[in-house]
Amino acid sequence: MPATTPSSAVTATRTSPSASKLDESVPLLRVADLAVSFDNGKGPRIQAVDGVRMTIYPRQTLAVVGESGCGKSVTAMSTMQLVPRPPGRFDRGAAFFNHNGKSVNLLTLSEREMQQFRGSEIAMIFQEPMTSLNPVYTIGDQILEAILLHQNVKLDEAIEIAVRAMDDVGIPDPRSRLSDYPHQFSGGMRQRVMIAMALACDPVLLLADEPTTALDVTIQAQILELLRKLQNDRGMGMMLITHDLGVVAENADVVCVMYAGRVVEYGTVFEVFKHPLHPYTRGLFASIPKMHEHRRRLVTINQIVDNLDEFKKLPGASDGVRPWWPWHDPPKDIRPKPGPAGDYYLQEVSKDHWVGVWRTAAVSDHESPPPDLAYRISDDPEAPSKKK
Amino acid sequence: MGTYLLRRLFLLIPTVIGMTFLIFMLIASSKGGIGAAIAFSSGAGQAKGESAALQRARLEDRYGLDSPVVVQYGRWIGRVSPVKFGTRDQVSPAGERFREPRSMKDPPLWEWFVDALPEPDAPKELPGKDAEEQVKRDAYRQASNDFAAARVDHVRARTEFELAAGTLLRETGHRDAVESDGTVILGLAKRIEPDKSHALWADVEQKAKVMLDTYKATISNKATLDASFATKPFPESGWGLIPGVLWLDAPDLGYSYSRSTPVINEIAKALPYTLMLNLAAFPIIYLIAVPSGILSATHRGSWIDVTSGSLFVALWSIPVVWAGVLAIGFLANDKYLGMFPVSGLHDNDAANYLMLPSWGENGFERGYLLDTLWHLCLPVACIVYGGFAILSKQTRAAMLENFTMDYVRTAKAKGVDGGSIVMRHVFRNSLLPIITMFVTVFPATLAGSVVIERIFSIPGMGSMIIDAIFLRDTEILLSNSLIIGIVNVVALLLADILYAMADPRITYK
Amino acid sequence: MDPTQSTTRTQTLESVTGVHLMQGIGHKPAKGFWGEAWSQVVRRPGAMLGLAWISVISFFACFAPVIASGHPIVWRDKTGAETVTSYPLFEYLTAVDLLLIVFGILGPLWVLIPLGASRGKRLGMLIAAGFQAAVIASLAMYLQSRITHGTAPGWVLDMWLNVKAPKENPNGPRELLILLSSLSIAGAVSLLWMFIPFTKHWWTRVPFVLLVGAVSFACISAKWTPKLESWPYHKFEASGKFEGTYTLVPWSPLQGDTAFNRKAPGESPASMLPEDRVYKTVDRPYVLGTDADGRDVLSQMLHACRLSISIGLVSTSIAVVIGVTIGALMGYFGGWVDMVLYRVVEIFMSFPVLLLLIIAAGVLPRNTYVMMAIIGCFSWMTAARFIRAEFFKLRDQDFVQSARAVGLPLRSVLFKHMLPNGITPVLVDASFLIAAAINIEAIISYLGLGPGDRPSWGHLLSAATGQTGEFIWWLATFPGLAIFLTVLSYNLIGEALRDAIDPKLKKARV
Repeated sequence: MPATTPSSAVTATRTSPSASKLDESVPLLRVADLAVSFDNGKGPRIQAVDGVRMTIYPRQTLAVVGESGCGKSVTAMSTMQLVPRPPGRFDRGAAFFNHNGKSVNLLTLSEREMQQFRGSEIAMIFQEPMTSLNPVYTIGDQILEAILLHQNVKLDEAIEIAVRAMDDVGIPDPRSRLSDYPHQFSGGMRQRVMIAMALACDPVLLLADEPTTALDVTIQAQILELLRKLQNDRGMGMMLITHDLGVVAENADVVCVMYAGRVVEYGTVFEVFKHPLHPYTRGLFASIPKMHEHRRRLVTINQIVDNLDEFKKLPGASDGVRPWWPWHDPPKDIRPKPGPAGDYYLQEVSKDHWVGVWRTAAVSDHESPPPDLAYRISDDPEAPSKKK
Repeated sequence: MGTYLLRRLFLLIPTVIGMTFLIFMLIASSKGGIGAAIAFSSGAGQAKGESAALQRARLEDRYGLDSPVVVQYGRWIGRVSPVKFGTRDQVSPAGERFREPRSMKDPPLWEWFVDALPEPDAPKELPGKDAEEQVKRDAYRQASNDFAAARVDHVRARTEFELAAGTLLRETGHRDAVESDGTVILGLAKRIEPDKSHALWADVEQKAKVMLDTYKATISNKATLDASFATKPFPESGWGLIPGVLWLDAPDLGYSYSRSTPVINEIAKALPYTLMLNLAAFPIIYLIAVPSGILSATHRGSWIDVTSGSLFVALWSIPVVWAGVLAIGFLANDKYLGMFPVSGLHDNDAANYLMLPSWGENGFERGYLLDTLWHLCLPVACIVYGGFAILSKQTRAAMLENFTMDYVRTAKAKGVDGGSIVMRHVFRNSLLPIITMFVTVFPATLAGSVVIERIFSIPGMGSMIIDAIFLRDTEILLSNSLIIGIVNVVALLLADILYAMADPRITYK
Repeated sequence: MDPTQSTTRTQTLESVTGVHLMQGIGHKPAKGFWGEAWSQVVRRPGAMLGLAWISVISFFACFAPVIASGHPIVWRDKTGAETVTSYPLFEYLTAVDLLLIVFGILGPLWVLIPLGASRGKRLGMLIAAGFQAAVIASLAMYLQSRITHGTAPGWVLDMWLNVKAPKENPNGPRELLILLSSLSIAGAVSLLWMFIPFTKHWWTRVPFVLLVGAVSFACISAKWTPKLESWPYHKFEASGKFEGTYTLVPWSPLQGDTAFNRKAPGESPASMLPEDRVYKTVDRPYVLGTDADGRDVLSQMLHACRLSISIGLVSTSIAVVIGVTIGALMGYFGGWVDMVLYRVVEIFMSFPVLLLLIIAAGVLPRNTYVMMAIIGCFSWMTAARFIRAEFFKLRDQDFVQSARAVGLPLRSVLFKHMLPNGITPVLVDASFLIAAAINIEAIISYLGLGPGDRPSWGHLLSAATGQTGEFIWWLATFPGLAIFLTVLSYNLIGEALRDAIDPKLKKARV
C-alpha cells in the first residue's frame, strides 16, 4: 500500500516543496474534549488535562500558554501518544488529524499505526536540547534513523536529505558534522539538530514544546526566526507551547491560554492581547513589564485574580456568566451537566473569542461552537505587518 | 588512547606494590614472621647439636631475615621487578642464579674492643677475565665455598659472643638492654660502658676476639668472592641498560621451601586452572544476567520481573561454601546422586583420553574435552550463581533509568518502534554501567574461585594460596597475590578499554 | 480551606488537579524521610520476612544460654536427710548472658509499651543503652583478662599482689578489685552518656543513665568465664540420689560425648545405652543430630546466633566508622589528601578483597575479635566512596556555595548538612555489608582459618565433609540453611531500603 503510506506522500512534497498538498480550510489537528489523568498510587488520580479543545490549521501557529503543570505538554504529548500509559490514561476525547483528507483519531491508533505518524506526519521538538539527543550516537545516525524509518530511500540519498535538513536549519559544514556526537555541539546547535531531525521527513504538523526555554536570549530569537521561516516555506501547522508572552506576541496566530488542565481563554492573538476577558489572562498580561510604563512594582497575577470585581467584567456578566476559576467556590446558581467537567463550559463570549466559564443558570442550556479559528496574521490585511 | 593505556599500566605498579606490601606486613606480623616456612623446612625447630639460637642466627644470616621488614620487602620487590638496579645477576647454563653477595653486617658491640673494624685482606690470586670459562667457574665455586665456611664460623662466634655479652649485661645490672631470649639489644648496649672488672669479662673478651677474627676471615673471603664474581664466570642474565646501574630481567618469583620447587613452576601449573574456571564462568554470568535484566526492565512489575528478581537475590544469598558442600555431598557423592566427579578437573587417566568423544570398544568414551567440561560443571555453577543478582539488578536499574531519559522520548517522537528503542537506544546506553559492573564482579568472582578451588580440590591458585597459608610459605603467598593482582588489573584494564569504546564522550588526551 | 471540608471532598473526588493538590486535597501527608522509607520497606513482604528471621536469631542470641544448656534449671541433692535444691543453670550464666537476657526482656517492652516519647526515640534510647552496656562489658572483660593473665598495668598488679588474701575467702581481694574497677567503668561510661543529648534536658537523662548504669554494673560484677561445657550431671543422676530438671535443649554447645558421635537428627542417646544407665538428661532426642565429637548440633546452632549477630554488627560498625572518616577526609580536604587516600581505596578496590581477608585471617591470631576487626578493616571502601562522592557533589552545589558566601565555614556546612545526606547510602550499604560479613565468616571457618573457640555456623558446616571424606548431611543442611536465611534476610532488607531511598528508581517508578 505504498500509495497511502505517509512516507510516499512526504517524498512527493520533498521533490516539489512549493506545491501545497494541504487544504488550508480544513484543520490539521482538532483536539476535542481531551481529558488525561495519571495514576497517583493510593491517592486519587491526578487530572492533568480536562476537556481541552483546540484546532490547528496549515500554515498556522497556535500558541498554548500557561504556567508549569497546567497541561500544555500533556496535551501535545497526548496527540502523539507519548504520554506513558500507565500511569497515564486517556479518559475521553479525541485528537482528529487530517491525513490526506481523511480524519484520523490519533488517540485510538495502535502503537504500530501511531509510529507511522510520528516523525513523518507530526514531529515534535522538546525543551531540553542538552538531553534530548542520544549521547552515544552521532548526529548523523540520529537524523538518518528518522529518514530511513519513514522514507523509502537508500542510505546515500538519506545522507543527502540529512545534509540538506541540517543546512536548512543553519548548521555550518553539515556534511562533516554528521559524524560528530551531541556533546560536541553547543545548546543552540543541538536544538537546531533537533529541529533538523524533526523536519527531515517534512511533517505537516510540528509540536514545539518550549523549544527555546533552555537557550540564551539571542539563540532563542534565532531559533524562533528559523522555525517561522521553515513554517512559511513548508506550510506546516505548528503548536507552540510556551510560557513566554513575548514569544507568543511575536509568533502566534491564535492563542490558547490554559490553567489547571482546562482552556480558560482562546482567540486570535490580537483579540486576546487587546481584550483579555478572563481575569487570569489579564493577570498574565499585567505582570509583563512594559517599555512605556513607569511603575514602582509590577502587578502580580494574584492581585487580579484575588479581586472578585475582575470576575464581573465578562460580557454577559450581568446575566450571571462567571469566568471559571478553580480557586473559587462555584457560584450559587451553578447547574452542572451530568458527566465529568460538567461545571465548566467554553463559551464563545464574543466573535472568535472563547472563555472558560462556570456552567451557571445563565448558560445552562447554552452550546456554543468549540474553538475553531483558521486565522493567520499573514493573510490578515488589517494586521500590522509583524512577520517578514 | 595509547597514552591512556600506558598511564593505566603505570597505575598498576602502585596497586601491586601496595597489595603485596600489605600482605608482606601481615605475614611479618604473624607468628614466625617472614621466615616461618624456611625455618620449618630446615628443621630449625628441632635443632640438635647446635643450639636453637645458633640455628636461627644462621638462617637469618643466610636469608637476610634479620634486616628490618621494609628492607626485606624492598629486596623482594627488587627480585620480582623486571626493572632492576645494580650489578647484573649471572646464570649458569644449568639455570643456577648467582647474585652479587650481600654486604656483611658489622659484628655486634665491636666498639667495646677495637677502634675500627678490621680491613679485609687483599683478594686471593684469581684467573683473569680472559681465562677459560671453566677455570673461572672453578675459582668462583672455590671462593664461594670458602666464604660460606667462614661465614658459618663467624655466625657461630657471633652468637656465642652475643649470649656471653647478654649474660654479662644482665649480671651487671643492665637488664633492659637484654631481650628475654638472652640476645642483646644492640642499640642500647652500644652506649653502655661494660664492667671490665667483672669475672665474666675475660670470657666475653675472648669470645669477642674469636668473633672479630672470624669476621676478618669472612670479609677477606668475601673480597675474593666479589673479585671472582666481577670476572663474570657465568653469562650475565637479562639486558643491561646502564652497565652496573640499570638492567632488565625476567621477574624472579623465588623458591618455595614448603614445596621445594621454584615458585614460578608451581604457578605455571596452577594459573591455567584458575583462568579456565573464570573464563568459563564469566560468559555464563553475563549471558544469563544481562538478558534477564533487560526483560525485567521491559516487563516491569510482571511475573518475569518479580520471579527473576527474587530468584537472583536468593541465589546471591546462598553462601558459596554451603553451595559447594551441598553440591559435593548430594550431587557428587556416590551415596546420593553421584552424577558428578567429586574433585579435580580431570579423571585420573584423562591423559590417555582422545580429545573428542568417541564410541570405542568399551562403549561411549567421553574424551578429554568432554571430561574436562564434566568436571567443570559443579565448580563453575558454584562460581556463577552469585553473580547473577548484582549484574541483573544493575542492568535493570540502568535500563529503567534510561527509559526515563529525554532522548528516549525523542526517539519515540521520531517514530522508532518499541523493540528498537529498547535495544538501540536504552540498552546501548545501559551498556556503560554494565561494563562498569565488571569492576565489581570480576574481583569477587576471582576471589570466589579461590574458595571453590579449595572445596572441589582443584589444584589452582586458590588451593595453592590456602596451602601456603597453613605452611606460612611467604614466597608462594606473595607471588600468588602478585599474579592474581596482575590478572585482576589487566581484566579491569580491558573493561576500561571497552568502556572507552562504548562511550564516545570519553576522550583520552 | 478547613480540613474537614477537604477530607470530605477527597472522598468524593475521583481525580484531582494540580489546584486541588495546592489546596491540600488528595495530598498524601508527609512522613519525613526515614518514616517514608520505613513505610516502603514494611510494604515489601520479603523485607518483612527478613526482619522476622533476624528477630528470631536475635531472640536466640539473647536467650540461648537458658534454652540450650547442659546445666539443669533445678538440681535436687537427695544424699542427705533433707533435699538440697540448687539452680546450676543460673549460677553458670556469665555477665554477658545476664546483660543480654535483661536486654532481651526489657528492650522489646520498652519499645512496645507507649511511654510518651515517640517509638523512634525510644528505639534510639534503647540502642544507646545497648551500646553503653556493650562498651562497659568489653572494658570490664578486657580488664579482667589482663588481671588474670598478669598483663595489666603494674600498679593494678601490685595492688592485687599486695593485698593479702584472707584464708576464708582466697578470692576476696580479687573480687573486690573487679568490683571496684567495674564500678568505676560503669560509672564513667554512664556519666559520659549524660552528655549525649538524646533527650532535651539533662535531668531527664539522669534516671535513664542511673538505671542502665546499675543494670550493667550488676551484670559486670557477675561471672565472666563462659561455661560452654557442663558437668557430668548424668553420672550423678545414675546413682538415683540426684535429680535435675532440664531446659528445652538439655545439651551445652561444647558438651560432647564421643559415644554419641554422628547421630542423625531425631535419634535419642537413650536407645544407645544399656538399661541401667538410662538417665533423665539423655532420654531426649538430638533434634538436629550430633557432630563428629558427639556434640548436639541444635544447641551449637542456637548459641552460634550470638556470634552471627555480633560479627555482622561489629565488623560493619568498624567498616562504617573507618569508611565515613576516610571518605569525609577525602571529601573535606580534597587536593593531595584525596589523591593519596583515594589511591589507597583504589588499591583495595582493584584487588580481590576476599583473598586478602583469607590471608589475614590465616596469618593473624585465630580469635573472634581479630576476625571481626579484619572483616571490618577490609570492607570500608564502599562507605568511603559514597561519602566522598556525596561531599564532592554537594560542595559544588549552589546552596553550599551560597552558604559559604554568607560566611558559614565549610566545616559546618559539610558536617551539619552534608554528612547526614551522604550517610543514607552508607546505611543501606551497611545492610549488605552485614550479609557479606556473615558470608565471609562462613568461608573463613570453612577453610579452617576461623577461631573455632566458640560455636559457629560456618564451623559446623565445615565439619560436614570431614577428613574421613564422609558426608554428614545434617551438618551440611541445617547450619548452611541458617547462614543462608540470615544472609538473605539482610540482603532483602538492604534491597528494600535501597529501593525506598534511591531517588533514581523513584523517578523511574512514576
